[in-house]
Amino acid sequence: MIIEAGKNFLRFLFFILLQVTIVRHLDLGIFFNPFVFIAAILMLPFRLNKSIVLLVAFATGLIIDMFYNTMGMNAAACTLMAFCRPAILRFYAPAGEYNADANATVGSMGLRWMLSYAGTLIILHHTVLFYLEMFSMHNFFTTLFKVVLSGIATLILILLTQSLFFRNAS
Amino acid sequence: MYGIIAFLRKFYFAVLFVVLEIISLIFVFSNNYYHEAGYFNSSNKIAGTVYSAYSGVTTYFNLKKVNQQLADENARLLHLASEIKDTSAHKKIPKTNPFGQEFNFILAEVIDNSTNLPNNYITLNGGSDQGIGEGMGVISPEGIVGVVVKVSSHYSVVMSLLHKKALVSAMFKKSGTFGTLSWGEKMDYRFATLAQIPMSEKVRVGDTIVSSGFSNTFPKGIMIGEVESVKEIPEQYFYTVRVKLSTDFKNLRYVYVVSDLRKIEKEKLEDDAANGLNEKAK
Repeated sequence: MIIEAGKNFLRFLFFILLQVTIVRHLDLGIFFNPFVFIAAILMLPFRLNKSIVLLVAFATGLIIDMFYNTMGMNAAACTLMAFCRPAILRFYAPAGEYNADANATVGSMGLRWMLSYAGTLIILHHTVLFYLEMFSMHNFFTTLFKVVLSGIATLILILLTQSLFFRNAS
Repeated sequence: MYGIIAFLRKFYFAVLFVVLEIISLIFVFSNNYYHEAGYFNSSNKIAGTVYSAYSGVTTYFNLKKVNQQLADENARLLHLASEIKDTSAHKKIPKTNPFGQEFNFILAEVIDNSTNLPNNYITLNGGSDQGIGEGMGVISPEGIVGVVVKVSSHYSVVMSLLHKKALVSAMFKKSGTFGTLSWGEKMDYRFATLAQIPMSEKVRVGDTIVSSGFSNTFPKGIMIGEVESVKEIPEQYFYTVRVKLSTDFKNLRYVYVVSDLRKIEKEKLEDDAANGLNEKAK
């Protein structure tokens, strides 16, 4: 139990540092703005109490806001994502049930499941974040374009990071 | 009462979600969130330490460009100094600096910067201990950069000119015609928009735009950029000018925080006057 909690904590630390030091400075232009840290929330154990997931997501969002000076925007986006996560998990549930030792990685759940699960939540997160960031609907289609392109970038980065660092995650 | 408890029990997850969302959105839409959420920004110790460590690693990557900027600035200042010497032969040098206002320039190092977000901020390695205060202007060797919005003892957060809310009073160097400069809709880090230039002004591509000095945030005559193109707005009798920024926001390393000494003097005077009145009232 404690080992499990420690593992999750280290994963959060890893993804937050990855986000604020490396990914933040990738500088791929205004349309590619990946937020790879949400993988830490996606990869929380499936059976974890959903209220805890909600609080953890809120706190993680605030920490990212602190580094980005986007007070509250990431917190709002992450909280919504955590709120929808149980429903998304149920929606994409494999035949039968999730295995007790399953986790949100390609190795454990397969590429197709991972793409649909992560893809849905990433789009949710990015939609809230980027529309809050632009505030007005002035640039509705520009922002939509950004949501899609950044979402794809986030998804690729998450799969890449997982295949590099979390291949045998348990 | 039982009804409320039963309701909370049944819907605690949804209630928790709504509460957290409301807290987030209060942060987002409060006009001055730096006061409501004083600690949660990149001037705090955690963010400052991470960014310092990171910039300690990456500082070497753009040294060549930064050296070039500083050498260019040296050349320009030497040129300016020699001009002042020349005139001194004929008339007395005024005691104040050429801008007519007394400013102090505090050197600070950029430890974090972005150019590709709708609202960009810069984090500086230097805070109130170095004399940096909220509301001070920030300039680079090449031109203006932004305004300090939050300071802690060792770090400060600067609202970059590349920010939807950034506004600078700017003017044509040759004529003194002034307008308001803001970052354009297109979110390109190289350009800004100068609005409300009267049509009587003969705008030419390549004209120099400098700070007007009206707001006291920046000294008068600090370089902003050059005219890139001009657009007429006939129904309003105004030009909108696209300005190519002289500051290379992707290669910011050393900046100067402009402290207006007269501002401090003025505030002190006002405080003293208020205190004096209070004492008299006693």
